[in-house]
Amino acid sequence: MTARPDRDGGEQLGLLGAAWEDVAQHWQDEVAHRFETDHWTPLAQRSRAYLAALGALLDVLETAERETEF
Amino acid sequence: MATGTNAVHADIEALKGFHEALVRFRYAQRGVAERGGDEIAMTRASLAAKASRWQARLEQCQAELDACRAADGEEAADCSAQVRAVEQAGERLEHVRRWQQRVDAGAGEFGGAAGAYLDLLEVDLPRAESRLLAIITSLEAARRVPAGET
Repeated sequence: MTARPDRDGGEQLGLLGAAWEDVAQHWQDEVAHRFETDHWTPLAQRSRAYLAALGALLDVLETAERETEF
Repeated sequence: MATGTNAVHADIEALKGFHEALVRFRYAQRGVAERGGDEIAMTRASLAAKASRWQARLEQCQAELDACRAADGEEAADCSAQVRAVEQAGERLEHVRRWQQRVDAGAGEFGGAAGAYLDLLEVDLPRAESRLLAIITSLEAARRVPAGET
């Protein structure tokens, strides 16, 4: 059975977050801080928001299918 | 005091690993977005098929009710079963149509968020990857400069 895309996306975001945590241990200067502020934080926040919206919509789609089975 | 590229204190391999992770993420999330679109399309098609089926059923039940009422006989025919069938088919058709409207509204609302996220994947994320590559390149160049020349 294929997992829902929002869950797959969340898993991928988790992996990327772990990769960021790993690199952040080695990279703690001003350039790193700027990269985090300009790129990483917006990417992580917007990805989470998108996946939450996708998850909510997929819940509606599943309910629609279920509720219209007569 | 270190300046310019030497101000970047990072493990180059870790940065390269993160760059690869960003590229993988971009491709994976494109797939997620496509599958999300596919799910919406499949549900819409499924609901449209159900609405069409119940519309046909309603018309059939209505025809049976009309035939019952038009039947010749000494006594008035009992058409209550046909009436119930028409009511049930009509209610189910309306139920499916309400879900179609709800799905359309949800998909429309989601469309804005999805479009913005695709922009992020197609524009912002490649920009972040390029920035990271530039940092890696600068760092590698700085590492190649012998000590004392900076």
